[in-house]
Amino acid sequence: MKRPVTAALAVVGYLIMIVPIVFVVATAFTAGSTLRFPPDGFSLRWFGEAFAYEPFVEATISSVQLAVLAAALALLIGVPATLAIHRGRIPGKGLVEGLFLSPLIVPELVVGLALFQQLMVGLDLDNFTALLVGHTALMLPYAVRVTGASLALADPALEEAARGLGASPLRAFVNVTLPVLRPGIFSAGLLSVVTSFNNVPLSLLLQGRDFRTLPVTMLDYVQQSYDPMVAAASTLILAATVVIAVIAERTVGFAKIFGGISR
Amino acid sequence: MTAAAELIGVTQRFGSFTAVDAVDLAVPPGKLTTLLGPSGCGKTTTLRMIAGYSAPTSGTIRIDGIDSTRTPPEKRNLGMVFQSYALFPHMTVADNVGYGLKLRKVPAAERRARVMETLELVGLAHLAGRKPKKLSGGQQQRVALARAIAIRPRLLLLDEPLSNLDARLRVQMRTEIRRIQAETELTVILVTHDQDEALEMSDEMVIMNEGRIVQQGAPQQVFPRPADRFVAEFLGYENFLTAADGTPLTIRPEHLRLAEQAPGLPATVADVAFRGVDLLVSLDVVDPSGATVRLLADVRGGTAPAPGSSVTVVTPDDHLVRLPR
Repeated sequence: MKRPVTAALAVVGYLIMIVPIVFVVATAFTAGSTLRFPPDGFSLRWFGEAFAYEPFVEATISSVQLAVLAAALALLIGVPATLAIHRGRIPGKGLVEGLFLSPLIVPELVVGLALFQQLMVGLDLDNFTALLVGHTALMLPYAVRVTGASLALADPALEEAARGLGASPLRAFVNVTLPVLRPGIFSAGLLSVVTSFNNVPLSLLLQGRDFRTLPVTMLDYVQQSYDPMVAAASTLILAATVVIAVIAERTVGFAKIFGGISR
Repeated sequence: MTAAAELIGVTQRFGSFTAVDAVDLAVPPGKLTTLLGPSGCGKTTTLRMIAGYSAPTSGTIRIDGIDSTRTPPEKRNLGMVFQSYALFPHMTVADNVGYGLKLRKVPAAERRARVMETLELVGLAHLAGRKPKKLSGGQQQRVALARAIAIRPRLLLLDEPLSNLDARLRVQMRTEIRRIQAETELTVILVTHDQDEALEMSDEMVIMNEGRIVQQGAPQQVFPRPADRFVAEFLGYENFLTAADGTPLTIRPEHLRLAEQAPGLPATVADVAFRGVDLLVSLDVVDPSGATVRLLADVRGGTAPAPGSSVTVVTPDDHLVRLPR
Protein backbone atom coordinates (compact mmCIF):
# COMPACT_ATOMS: atom_id res chain seq x y z
CA MET A 1 0.00 0.00 0.00
CA LYS A 2 1.50 3.28 -1.12
CA ARG A 3 -0.97 5.58 0.61
CA PRO A 4 -1.41 4.62 4.28
CA VAL A 5 -4.28 7.07 4.91
CA THR A 6 -6.32 5.66 2.03
CA ALA A 7 -5.59 2.15 3.19
CA ALA A 8 -6.64 2.94 6.77
CA LEU A 9 -9.88 4.55 5.56
CA ALA A 10 -10.60 1.51 3.42
CA VAL A 11 -10.10 -0.79 6.40
CA VAL A 12 -12.41 1.34 8.58
CA GLY A 13 -14.98 1.40 5.81
CA TYR A 14 -14.95 -2.37 5.43
CA LEU A 15 -15.17 -2.82 9.21
CA ILE A 16 -18.21 -0.54 9.42
CA MET A 17 -19.91 -2.56 6.70
CA ILE A 18 -18.86 -6.02 7.75
CA VAL A 19 -19.01 -6.03 11.57
CA PRO A 20 -22.81 -5.66 11.82
CA ILE A 21 -23.17 -8.46 9.28
CA VAL A 22 -20.91 -10.67 11.38
CA PHE A 23 -23.19 -10.05 14.38
CA VAL A 24 -26.29 -11.00 12.40
CA VAL A 25 -24.71 -14.16 11.02
CA ALA A 26 -23.38 -15.15 14.44
CA THR A 27 -26.75 -14.69 16.18
CA ALA A 28 -28.44 -16.76 13.47
CA PHE A 29 -26.63 -19.83 14.75
CA THR A 30 -27.68 -19.35 18.38
CA ALA A 31 -29.28 -22.13 20.36
CA GLY A 32 -31.09 -19.59 22.56
CA SER A 33 -34.35 -17.82 21.82
CA THR A 34 -33.39 -14.14 21.76
CA LEU A 35 -31.36 -12.04 19.36
CA ARG A 36 -28.29 -11.55 21.50
CA PHE A 37 -24.56 -11.35 21.01
CA PRO A 38 -22.58 -13.39 21.86
CA PRO A 39 -25.01 -16.19 20.90
CA ASP A 40 -26.02 -18.83 23.46
CA GLY A 41 -24.39 -21.96 22.03
CA PHE A 42 -24.59 -23.22 18.44
CA SER A 43 -27.50 -24.74 16.57
CA LEU A 44 -29.22 -24.69 13.21
CA ARG A 45 -32.58 -24.50 15.01
CA TRP A 46 -33.59 -21.06 13.70
CA PHE A 47 -32.78 -21.95 10.11
CA GLY A 48 -35.25 -24.82 10.49
CA GLU A 49 -37.82 -22.44 11.97
CA ALA A 50 -37.31 -19.94 9.14
CA PHE A 51 -37.90 -22.67 6.55
CA ALA A 52 -41.01 -23.78 8.36
CA TYR A 53 -42.49 -20.30 8.76
CA GLU A 54 -45.04 -20.07 6.02
CA PRO A 55 -45.14 -16.26 5.54
CA PHE A 56 -41.36 -16.30 4.92
CA VAL A 57 -41.55 -19.17 2.46
CA GLU A 58 -44.44 -17.60 0.58
CA ALA A 59 -42.75 -14.20 0.54
CA THR A 60 -39.52 -15.76 -0.73
CA ILE A 61 -41.35 -17.33 -3.64
CA SER A 62 -43.08 -14.00 -4.34
CA SER A 63 -39.80 -12.10 -4.15
CA VAL A 64 -38.06 -14.49 -6.53
CA GLN A 65 -40.95 -14.33 -8.98
CA LEU A 66 -40.96 -10.56 -8.88
CA ALA A 67 -37.17 -10.30 -9.17
CA VAL A 68 -36.91 -12.68 -12.13
CA LEU A 69 -39.85 -11.13 -13.98
CA ALA A 70 -38.66 -7.57 -13.36
CA ALA A 71 -35.10 -8.41 -14.42
CA ALA A 72 -36.34 -10.13 -17.59
CA LEU A 73 -38.57 -7.17 -18.45
CA ALA A 74 -35.77 -4.70 -17.75
CA LEU A 75 -33.45 -6.59 -20.11
CA LEU A 76 -36.16 -6.91 -22.77
CA ILE A 77 -36.66 -3.15 -22.70
CA GLY A 78 -33.16 -2.01 -21.78
CA VAL A 79 -31.03 -4.03 -24.20
CA PRO A 80 -32.82 -3.02 -27.42
CA ALA A 81 -33.07 0.55 -26.11
CA THR A 82 -29.31 0.65 -25.57
CA LEU A 83 -28.66 -0.74 -29.03
CA ALA A 84 -30.88 1.95 -30.46
CA ILE A 85 -29.12 4.63 -28.41
CA HIS A 86 -25.63 3.50 -29.42
CA ARG A 87 -26.11 2.27 -32.95
CA GLY A 88 -29.32 3.81 -34.21
CA ARG A 89 -30.00 7.20 -35.69
CA ILE A 90 -32.42 8.60 -33.16
CA PRO A 91 -32.58 12.24 -32.16
CA GLY A 92 -31.77 13.24 -28.58
CA LYS A 93 -29.79 10.14 -27.71
CA GLY A 94 -28.38 11.73 -24.57
CA LEU A 95 -31.85 12.60 -23.34
CA VAL A 96 -33.14 9.07 -23.95
CA GLU A 97 -30.17 7.53 -22.15
CA GLY A 98 -30.62 9.97 -19.28
CA LEU A 99 -34.26 8.93 -19.02
CA PHE A 100 -33.28 5.28 -18.74
CA LEU A 101 -30.69 6.05 -16.09
CA SER A 102 -32.92 8.41 -14.09
CA PRO A 103 -34.19 5.71 -11.67
CA LEU A 104 -30.69 5.81 -10.20
CA ILE A 105 -31.19 9.43 -9.19
CA VAL A 106 -34.89 9.79 -8.33
CA PRO A 107 -35.46 8.69 -4.72
CA GLU A 108 -37.19 5.33 -4.62
CA LEU A 109 -39.72 6.60 -2.10
CA VAL A 110 -40.82 9.21 -4.63
CA VAL A 111 -41.06 6.59 -7.39
CA GLY A 112 -42.97 4.32 -5.01
CA LEU A 113 -45.41 7.02 -3.99
CA ALA A 114 -45.98 8.04 -7.61
CA LEU A 115 -46.66 4.45 -8.67
CA PHE A 116 -48.96 3.99 -5.67
CA GLN A 117 -51.00 7.06 -6.58
CA GLN A 118 -51.14 6.42 -10.32
CA LEU A 119 -51.36 2.65 -10.62
CA MET A 120 -52.93 1.38 -7.43
CA VAL A 121 -55.19 4.29 -6.52
CA GLY A 122 -55.66 5.85 -9.94
CA LEU A 123 -55.95 2.77 -12.17
CA ASP A 124 -56.94 0.37 -9.41
CA LEU A 125 -54.26 -2.16 -10.40
CA ASP A 126 -53.17 -4.83 -7.95
CA ASN A 127 -49.96 -4.31 -6.02
CA PHE A 128 -48.08 -7.01 -7.93
CA THR A 129 -48.43 -5.07 -11.19
CA ALA A 130 -47.35 -1.88 -9.46
CA LEU A 131 -44.36 -3.64 -7.91
CA LEU A 132 -43.43 -5.16 -11.26
CA VAL A 133 -43.52 -1.75 -12.96
CA GLY A 134 -41.53 -0.16 -10.14
CA HIS A 135 -38.89 -2.87 -9.95
CA THR A 136 -38.52 -3.00 -13.73
CA ALA A 137 -37.89 0.75 -13.80
CA LEU A 138 -35.35 0.32 -11.03
CA MET A 139 -33.49 -2.38 -12.97
CA LEU A 140 -33.38 -0.47 -16.25
CA PRO A 141 -30.20 1.49 -15.45
CA TYR A 142 -28.33 -1.79 -14.96
CA ALA A 143 -29.50 -3.20 -18.26
CA VAL A 144 -28.66 0.02 -20.09
CA ARG A 145 -25.32 0.52 -18.41
CA VAL A 146 -24.02 -3.00 -18.78
CA THR A 147 -25.17 -3.39 -22.36
CA GLY A 148 -23.74 0.02 -23.16
CA ALA A 149 -20.40 -0.86 -21.59
CA SER A 150 -20.21 -4.20 -23.43
CA LEU A 151 -21.17 -2.51 -26.67
CA ALA A 152 -18.55 0.20 -26.22
CA LEU A 153 -15.91 -2.46 -25.65
CA ALA A 154 -16.99 -4.52 -28.67
CA ASP A 155 -15.08 -3.85 -31.89
CA PRO A 156 -17.49 -2.25 -34.39
CA ALA A 157 -15.56 -4.06 -37.13
CA LEU A 158 -16.91 -7.40 -35.82
CA GLU A 159 -20.35 -6.81 -37.26
CA GLU A 160 -18.84 -5.43 -40.46
CA ALA A 161 -16.67 -8.53 -40.76
CA ALA A 162 -19.75 -10.73 -40.49
CA ARG A 163 -21.55 -8.63 -43.12
CA GLY A 164 -18.56 -8.91 -45.44
CA LEU A 165 -18.61 -12.68 -45.10
CA GLY A 166 -22.22 -12.74 -46.25
CA ALA A 167 -24.40 -12.16 -43.20
CA SER A 168 -27.48 -9.94 -43.36
CA PRO A 169 -27.58 -7.17 -40.73
CA LEU A 170 -29.92 -9.25 -38.54
CA ARG A 171 -27.81 -12.37 -38.96
CA ALA A 172 -24.62 -10.48 -38.11
CA PHE A 173 -26.30 -9.15 -34.98
CA VAL A 174 -27.53 -12.57 -33.85
CA ASN A 175 -24.33 -14.45 -34.72
CA VAL A 176 -21.74 -11.95 -33.61
CA THR A 177 -22.92 -8.92 -31.63
CA LEU A 178 -25.34 -10.76 -29.34
CA PRO A 179 -22.82 -13.46 -28.28
CA VAL A 180 -20.28 -10.74 -27.56
CA LEU A 181 -22.84 -8.93 -25.37
CA ARG A 182 -24.15 -12.12 -23.72
CA PRO A 183 -21.88 -12.15 -20.64
CA GLY A 184 -22.77 -8.54 -19.95
CA ILE A 185 -26.48 -9.15 -20.36
CA PHE A 186 -26.26 -12.24 -18.16
CA SER A 187 -24.56 -10.40 -15.34
CA ALA A 188 -26.89 -7.41 -15.63
CA GLY A 189 -29.72 -9.89 -15.20
CA LEU A 190 -28.15 -11.40 -12.09
CA LEU A 191 -27.51 -8.02 -10.52
CA SER A 192 -31.04 -6.92 -11.32
CA VAL A 193 -32.43 -10.00 -9.60
CA VAL A 194 -30.35 -9.32 -6.50
CA THR A 195 -31.27 -5.64 -6.41
CA SER A 196 -34.94 -6.35 -6.85
CA PHE A 197 -34.91 -9.14 -4.28
CA ASN A 198 -33.32 -6.91 -1.65
CA ASN A 199 -35.38 -3.81 -2.38
CA VAL A 200 -37.25 -2.29 0.57
CA PRO A 201 -38.45 1.28 -0.17
CA LEU A 202 -40.50 0.47 -3.27
CA SER A 203 -41.83 -2.78 -1.90
CA LEU A 204 -42.81 -1.08 1.35
CA LEU A 205 -44.85 1.61 -0.37
CA LEU A 206 -46.48 -0.80 -2.78
CA GLN A 207 -47.21 -3.61 -0.35
CA GLY A 208 -50.57 -5.28 -0.41
CA ARG A 209 -52.35 -8.15 1.27
CA ASP A 210 -52.05 -10.67 -1.58
CA PHE A 211 -48.50 -10.12 -2.66
CA ARG A 212 -45.72 -9.42 -0.17
CA THR A 213 -41.99 -9.49 -0.76
CA LEU A 214 -39.58 -11.08 1.68
CA PRO A 215 -37.87 -7.93 3.02
CA VAL A 216 -41.25 -6.37 3.83
CA THR A 217 -42.47 -9.57 5.50
CA MET A 218 -39.29 -9.67 7.57
CA LEU A 219 -39.74 -6.05 8.61
CA ASP A 220 -43.29 -6.83 9.75
CA TYR A 221 -42.02 -9.85 11.66
CA VAL A 222 -39.32 -7.89 13.47
CA GLN A 223 -41.89 -5.35 14.64
CA GLN A 224 -43.78 -8.08 16.46
CA SER A 225 -41.25 -10.59 17.64
CA TYR A 226 -37.57 -10.32 18.20
CA ASP A 227 -36.23 -13.85 17.83
CA PRO A 228 -33.21 -15.20 15.86
CA MET A 229 -35.35 -16.51 13.01
CA VAL A 230 -34.97 -13.16 11.23
CA ALA A 231 -31.19 -13.39 11.60
CA ALA A 232 -31.29 -16.89 10.11
CA ALA A 233 -33.37 -15.69 7.15
CA SER A 234 -31.02 -12.74 6.65
CA THR A 235 -28.03 -15.05 6.67
CA LEU A 236 -29.61 -17.19 3.96
CA ILE A 237 -30.33 -14.15 1.80
CA LEU A 238 -26.78 -12.93 2.36
CA ALA A 239 -25.33 -16.26 1.27
CA ALA A 240 -27.46 -16.36 -1.88
CA THR A 241 -26.53 -12.76 -2.73
CA VAL A 242 -22.83 -13.47 -2.33
CA VAL A 243 -23.03 -16.49 -4.62
CA ILE A 244 -24.83 -14.49 -7.32
CA ALA A 245 -22.43 -11.56 -6.98
CA VAL A 246 -19.44 -13.88 -7.38
CA ILE A 247 -20.97 -15.35 -10.55
CA ALA A 248 -21.56 -11.85 -11.92
CA GLU A 249 -18.02 -10.81 -11.07
CA ARG A 250 -16.58 -13.92 -12.70
CA THR A 251 -18.54 -13.47 -15.92
CA VAL A 252 -18.10 -9.75 -16.51
CA GLY A 253 -16.49 -7.97 -13.58
CA PHE A 254 -17.95 -5.18 -11.51
CA ALA A 255 -15.44 -2.71 -12.85
CA LYS A 256 -17.07 -2.98 -16.26
CA ILE A 257 -20.59 -2.84 -14.87
CA PHE A 258 -20.09 0.16 -12.61
CA GLY A 259 -17.20 1.75 -14.45
CA GLY A 260 -19.56 3.85 -16.51
CA ILE A 261 -21.45 5.25 -13.55
CA SER A 262 -18.54 6.76 -11.67
CA ARG A 263 -17.15 8.41 -14.77
CA MET B 1 -9.42 -6.80 -69.89
CA THR B 2 -12.09 -5.69 -67.42
CA ALA B 3 -10.85 -4.14 -64.23
CA ALA B 4 -11.53 -6.22 -61.11
CA ALA B 5 -12.79 -3.07 -59.48
CA GLU B 6 -13.45 0.28 -61.07
CA LEU B 7 -14.22 3.62 -59.48
CA ILE B 8 -15.68 6.33 -61.65
CA GLY B 9 -15.86 9.86 -60.26
CA VAL B 10 -16.29 8.54 -56.73
CA THR B 11 -16.73 11.21 -54.06
CA GLN B 12 -17.34 10.74 -50.36
CA ARG B 13 -18.28 13.69 -48.18
CA PHE B 14 -18.73 13.63 -44.42
CA GLY B 15 -20.51 16.90 -43.66
CA SER B 16 -18.35 19.63 -45.13
CA PHE B 17 -15.25 17.38 -45.24
CA THR B 18 -14.48 15.74 -48.57
CA ALA B 19 -12.72 12.48 -47.74
CA VAL B 20 -12.55 11.20 -51.31
CA ASP B 21 -12.73 13.65 -54.18
CA ALA B 22 -13.84 12.49 -57.65
CA VAL B 23 -11.55 9.46 -57.74
CA ASP B 24 -11.19 7.43 -60.93
CA LEU B 25 -9.41 4.12 -60.44
CA ALA B 26 -9.15 0.82 -62.27
CA VAL B 27 -7.79 -2.09 -60.25
CA PRO B 28 -6.11 -4.68 -62.48
CA PRO B 29 -7.27 -8.28 -61.94
CA GLY B 30 -4.95 -10.84 -60.37
CA LYS B 31 -2.55 -8.18 -59.12
CA LEU B 32 -1.73 -6.61 -55.80
CA THR B 33 -2.65 -2.94 -55.78
CA THR B 34 -1.79 -0.71 -52.84
CA LEU B 35 -3.50 2.49 -51.83
CA LEU B 36 -0.73 4.51 -50.24
CA GLY B 37 -0.87 7.81 -48.44
CA PRO B 38 -0.69 9.62 -45.11
CA SER B 39 -3.54 9.30 -42.62
CA GLY B 40 -6.60 11.22 -43.75
CA CYS B 41 -5.74 10.96 -47.45
CA GLY B 42 -8.91 8.96 -48.16
CA LYS B 43 -7.35 5.54 -48.74
CA THR B 44 -9.33 3.69 -46.06
CA THR B 45 -12.54 5.47 -47.04
CA THR B 46 -11.94 4.35 -50.62
CA LEU B 47 -11.44 0.75 -49.50
CA ARG B 48 -14.58 0.87 -47.34
CA MET B 49 -16.60 2.10 -50.31
CA ILE B 50 -15.28 -0.75 -52.45
CA ALA B 51 -16.22 -3.16 -49.63
CA GLY B 52 -19.69 -1.63 -49.34
CA TYR B 53 -19.42 -0.38 -45.76
CA SER B 54 -20.04 3.16 -46.84
CA ALA B 55 -21.88 4.42 -49.89
CA PRO B 56 -20.25 7.13 -51.97
CA THR B 57 -21.89 10.57 -52.03
CA SER B 58 -21.62 10.40 -55.81
CA GLY B 59 -19.95 8.30 -58.47
CA THR B 60 -20.06 4.66 -59.54
CA ILE B 61 -18.26 1.58 -58.23
CA ARG B 62 -18.08 -1.44 -60.52
CA ILE B 63 -16.87 -4.84 -59.39
CA ASP B 64 -16.08 -7.27 -62.21
CA GLY B 65 -17.79 -4.82 -64.52
CA ILE B 66 -21.07 -4.85 -62.59
CA ASP B 67 -22.37 -1.66 -60.98
CA SER B 68 -22.20 -2.38 -57.25
CA THR B 69 -22.39 1.17 -55.93
CA ARG B 70 -25.42 0.46 -53.71
CA THR B 71 -24.92 -3.27 -53.17
CA PRO B 72 -24.74 -4.14 -49.44
CA PRO B 73 -21.47 -5.77 -48.31
CA GLU B 74 -23.04 -9.20 -47.78
CA LYS B 75 -23.95 -9.38 -51.46
CA ARG B 76 -20.51 -8.40 -52.82
CA ASN B 77 -18.54 -11.55 -52.04
CA LEU B 78 -15.39 -9.71 -51.07
CA GLY B 79 -12.85 -10.76 -48.46
CA MET B 80 -11.90 -8.04 -46.02
CA VAL B 81 -9.11 -8.04 -43.44
CA PHE B 82 -9.59 -5.32 -40.85
CA GLN B 83 -6.84 -3.43 -39.10
CA SER B 84 -8.11 -4.82 -35.77
CA TYR B 85 -8.55 -8.26 -37.44
CA ALA B 86 -12.13 -8.35 -36.02
CA LEU B 87 -11.99 -12.07 -35.26
CA PHE B 88 -15.16 -13.38 -33.62
CA PRO B 89 -14.01 -13.90 -30.02
CA HIS B 90 -16.60 -16.56 -29.16
CA MET B 91 -15.70 -18.80 -32.10
CA THR B 92 -12.70 -21.05 -32.61
CA VAL B 93 -10.18 -20.38 -35.37
CA ALA B 94 -11.88 -23.02 -37.55
CA ASP B 95 -15.35 -21.55 -36.92
CA ASN B 96 -14.09 -18.08 -37.75
CA VAL B 97 -12.63 -19.28 -41.03
CA GLY B 98 -15.72 -21.39 -41.77
CA TYR B 99 -18.28 -18.70 -40.96
CA GLY B 100 -18.56 -17.38 -44.50
CA LEU B 101 -18.89 -20.92 -45.87
CA LYS B 102 -21.59 -21.73 -43.34
CA LEU B 103 -23.56 -18.70 -44.54
CA ARG B 104 -23.12 -19.99 -48.09
CA LYS B 105 -24.62 -23.30 -46.93
CA VAL B 106 -21.53 -25.28 -47.90
CA PRO B 107 -22.08 -28.85 -46.56
CA ALA B 108 -20.24 -29.58 -43.29
CA ALA B 109 -17.73 -32.06 -44.72
CA GLU B 110 -16.72 -29.82 -47.58
CA ARG B 111 -16.64 -26.86 -45.23
CA ARG B 112 -14.20 -28.62 -42.89
CA ALA B 113 -11.98 -29.55 -45.81
CA ARG B 114 -11.92 -26.02 -47.14
CA VAL B 115 -11.30 -24.54 -43.70
CA MET B 116 -8.31 -26.82 -43.17
CA GLU B 117 -7.02 -26.18 -46.68
CA THR B 118 -7.17 -22.42 -46.07
CA LEU B 119 -5.57 -22.72 -42.65
CA GLU B 120 -2.77 -24.73 -44.21
CA LEU B 121 -2.26 -21.98 -46.75
CA VAL B 122 -1.60 -19.52 -43.92
CA GLY B 123 0.31 -22.11 -41.87
CA LEU B 124 -2.14 -22.38 -38.97
CA ALA B 125 -3.78 -25.79 -39.42
CA HIS B 126 -2.48 -26.88 -36.00
CA LEU B 127 -4.37 -24.08 -34.23
CA ALA B 128 -7.82 -24.77 -35.71
CA GLY B 129 -9.40 -25.51 -32.31
CA ARG B 130 -8.09 -22.46 -30.47
CA LYS B 131 -9.98 -19.31 -29.57
CA PRO B 132 -8.59 -16.10 -31.12
CA LYS B 133 -7.69 -14.69 -27.69
CA LYS B 134 -5.11 -17.48 -27.27
CA LEU B 135 -3.22 -16.49 -30.41
CA SER B 136 -0.38 -14.04 -30.96
CA GLY B 137 -0.94 -10.92 -33.05
CA GLY B 138 0.73 -12.48 -36.07
CA GLN B 139 -1.39 -15.62 -35.79
CA GLN B 140 -4.58 -13.59 -35.43
CA GLN B 141 -3.60 -11.73 -38.56
CA ARG B 142 -3.24 -15.01 -40.45
CA VAL B 143 -6.64 -16.20 -39.21
CA ALA B 144 -8.19 -12.96 -40.45
CA LEU B 145 -6.54 -13.56 -43.83
CA ALA B 146 -7.73 -17.17 -43.94
CA ARG B 147 -11.29 -16.12 -43.04
CA ALA B 148 -11.31 -13.61 -45.88
CA ILE B 149 -9.80 -16.05 -48.40
CA ALA B 150 -11.96 -19.06 -47.48
CA ILE B 151 -15.05 -17.64 -49.20
CA ARG B 152 -13.07 -17.42 -52.47
CA PRO B 153 -13.76 -13.71 -52.75
CA ARG B 154 -13.74 -11.69 -55.95
CA LEU B 155 -11.41 -9.22 -54.27
CA LEU B 156 -9.27 -9.45 -51.16
CA LEU B 157 -9.26 -6.13 -49.31
CA LEU B 158 -6.62 -5.49 -46.67
CA ASP B 159 -6.93 -2.43 -44.43
CA GLU B 160 -3.49 -1.67 -42.92
CA PRO B 161 -3.11 -5.40 -42.21
CA LEU B 162 0.45 -5.18 -40.90
CA SER B 163 0.32 -2.02 -38.81
CA ASN B 164 -0.41 -3.83 -35.53
CA LEU B 165 2.53 -6.22 -35.86
CA ASP B 166 6.04 -5.66 -34.56
CA ALA B 167 8.71 -4.54 -37.02
CA ARG B 168 10.27 -7.93 -37.77
CA LEU B 169 6.99 -9.78 -38.20
CA ARG B 170 5.73 -6.97 -40.39
CA VAL B 171 8.55 -7.48 -42.85
CA GLN B 172 8.03 -11.27 -42.82
CA MET B 173 4.30 -10.90 -43.48
CA ARG B 174 4.96 -8.75 -46.57
CA THR B 175 6.51 -11.74 -48.30
CA GLU B 176 3.86 -14.02 -46.84
CA ILE B 177 0.97 -11.96 -48.23
CA ARG B 178 2.73 -11.83 -51.62
CA ARG B 179 3.08 -15.61 -51.56
CA ILE B 180 -0.60 -16.11 -50.67
CA GLN B 181 -1.61 -13.66 -53.39
CA ALA B 182 0.49 -15.55 -55.94
CA GLU B 183 -0.88 -18.95 -54.88
CA THR B 184 -4.52 -17.89 -54.85
CA GLU B 185 -4.21 -15.55 -57.85
CA LEU B 186 -6.58 -13.22 -56.04
CA THR B 187 -6.95 -9.54 -56.86
CA VAL B 188 -5.72 -7.78 -53.74
CA ILE B 189 -6.21 -4.17 -52.68
CA LEU B 190 -4.04 -3.22 -49.73
CA VAL B 191 -4.24 0.04 -47.82
CA THR B 192 -1.07 1.26 -46.15
CA HIS B 193 0.71 4.42 -45.03
CA ASP B 194 4.11 2.71 -45.23
CA GLN B 195 5.94 3.48 -48.48
CA ASP B 196 8.44 0.63 -48.01
CA GLU B 197 5.56 -1.81 -47.65
CA ALA B 198 3.91 -0.43 -50.77
CA LEU B 199 7.11 -0.47 -52.82
CA GLU B 200 7.96 -4.01 -51.80
CA MET B 201 4.52 -5.55 -52.17
CA SER B 202 2.76 -3.75 -55.01
CA ASP B 203 2.29 -4.69 -58.61
CA GLU B 204 0.52 -1.37 -58.88
CA MET B 205 0.70 1.47 -56.40
CA VAL B 206 -1.82 4.27 -56.08
CA ILE B 207 -0.64 7.27 -54.08
CA MET B 208 -3.37 9.42 -52.55
CA ASN B 209 -3.35 12.84 -50.96
CA GLU B 210 -6.26 14.94 -49.69
CA GLY B 211 -8.84 12.63 -51.21
CA ARG B 212 -7.30 12.50 -54.68
CA ILE B 213 -5.05 10.10 -56.53
CA VAL B 214 -1.79 11.93 -57.15
CA GLN B 215 0.18 9.18 -58.89
CA GLN B 216 -0.37 5.64 -60.04
CA GLY B 217 1.84 2.99 -61.59
CA ALA B 218 4.24 0.13 -60.92
CA PRO B 219 6.72 0.84 -58.10
CA GLN B 220 9.54 0.69 -60.66
CA GLN B 221 7.89 3.54 -62.56
CA VAL B 222 6.70 5.61 -59.61
CA PHE B 223 9.76 5.51 -57.40
CA PRO B 224 12.29 7.11 -59.79
CA ARG B 225 9.76 9.58 -61.20
CA PRO B 226 7.62 11.18 -58.46
CA ALA B 227 4.89 13.25 -60.06
CA ASP B 228 5.01 16.15 -57.63
CA ARG B 229 6.63 17.44 -54.48
CA PHE B 230 4.14 15.62 -52.21
CA VAL B 231 4.91 12.22 -53.74
CA ALA B 232 8.63 12.99 -53.74
CA GLU B 233 8.62 13.86 -50.03
CA PHE B 234 6.46 10.85 -49.25
CA LEU B 235 8.88 8.53 -51.03
CA GLY B 236 11.92 9.91 -49.21
CA TYR B 237 13.22 12.51 -51.65
CA GLU B 238 14.65 14.96 -49.16
CA ASN B 239 16.46 17.43 -51.41
CA PHE B 240 14.62 20.18 -53.25
CA LEU B 241 16.37 22.77 -55.38
CA THR B 242 15.57 25.03 -58.30
CA ALA B 243 17.01 24.95 -61.83
CA ALA B 244 18.34 28.05 -63.56
CA ASP B 245 15.04 28.36 -65.50
CA GLY B 246 13.03 28.15 -62.27
CA THR B 247 11.94 24.49 -62.56
CA PRO B 248 11.74 22.75 -59.15
CA LEU B 249 14.05 19.76 -58.92
CA THR B 250 14.45 16.92 -56.47
CA ILE B 251 17.09 14.28 -55.85
CA ARG B 252 17.50 11.51 -53.27
CA PRO B 253 20.25 11.85 -50.62
CA GLU B 254 21.97 8.68 -51.87
CA HIS B 255 22.32 10.16 -55.36
CA LEU B 256 24.22 13.28 -54.33
CA ARG B 257 28.00 12.97 -54.73
CA LEU B 258 30.70 15.05 -53.11
CA ALA B 259 33.66 16.14 -55.22
CA GLU B 260 36.82 18.15 -54.71
CA GLN B 261 36.20 20.65 -57.48
CA ALA B 262 33.86 21.77 -60.26
CA PRO B 263 31.84 20.87 -62.26
CA GLY B 264 29.14 20.92 -59.59
CA LEU B 265 27.43 23.17 -57.10
CA PRO B 266 29.51 25.02 -54.51
CA ALA B 267 28.61 23.97 -50.96
CA THR B 268 29.64 24.28 -47.33
CA VAL B 269 29.47 21.26 -45.00
CA ALA B 270 27.08 22.08 -42.15
CA ASP B 271 27.08 18.80 -40.27
CA VAL B 272 28.21 15.19 -40.54
CA ALA B 273 26.37 12.33 -38.86
CA PHE B 274 27.88 8.85 -38.66
CA ARG B 275 25.19 6.20 -39.19
CA GLY B 276 27.13 2.95 -39.31
CA VAL B 277 26.83 1.93 -42.93
CA ASP B 278 26.91 5.49 -44.22
CA LEU B 279 27.46 9.15 -43.42
CA LEU B 280 24.69 11.70 -43.57
CA VAL B 281 26.20 14.99 -44.63
CA SER B 282 24.18 18.20 -44.32
CA LEU B 283 25.21 20.79 -46.85
CA ASP B 284 24.42 24.42 -47.55
CA VAL B 285 24.38 24.44 -51.33
CA VAL B 286 24.09 27.31 -53.78
CA ASP B 287 21.63 25.86 -56.35
CA PRO B 288 21.56 26.78 -60.08
CA SER B 289 19.02 29.55 -59.44
CA GLY B 290 21.44 31.19 -57.01
CA ALA B 291 19.52 30.38 -53.82
CA THR B 292 21.20 28.70 -50.86
CA VAL B 293 19.40 25.47 -49.87
CA ARG B 294 20.04 22.84 -47.22
CA LEU B 295 20.61 19.42 -48.87
CA LEU B 296 21.36 16.00 -47.40
CA ALA B 297 23.91 13.66 -48.93
CA ASP B 298 24.04 9.98 -48.04
CA VAL B 299 27.70 9.12 -48.48
CA ARG B 300 29.12 5.60 -48.42
CA GLY B 301 32.86 5.04 -48.18
CA GLY B 302 35.51 7.71 -48.38
CA THR B 303 36.59 10.04 -45.63
CA ALA B 304 34.21 12.29 -43.76
CA PRO B 305 34.39 15.94 -44.82
CA ALA B 306 35.01 18.34 -41.94
CA PRO B 307 32.14 20.61 -40.92
CA GLY B 308 32.75 24.11 -42.24
CA SER B 309 34.83 22.94 -45.18
CA SER B 310 33.97 23.85 -48.77
CA VAL B 311 33.03 21.05 -51.18
CA THR B 312 31.45 20.61 -54.57
CA VAL B 313 28.12 18.77 -54.84
CA VAL B 314 27.42 16.75 -57.98
CA THR B 315 23.77 16.14 -58.95
CA PRO B 316 23.83 13.44 -61.66
CA ASP B 317 21.34 14.36 -64.42
CA ASP B 318 19.80 10.89 -64.63
CA HIS B 319 18.79 11.07 -60.92
CA LEU B 320 17.58 14.66 -60.95
CA VAL B 321 13.77 14.68 -61.14
CA ARG B 322 11.95 17.68 -62.56
CA LEU B 323 8.76 18.52 -60.69
CA PRO B 324 5.80 20.59 -61.92
CA ARG B 325 6.03 24.26 -60.93
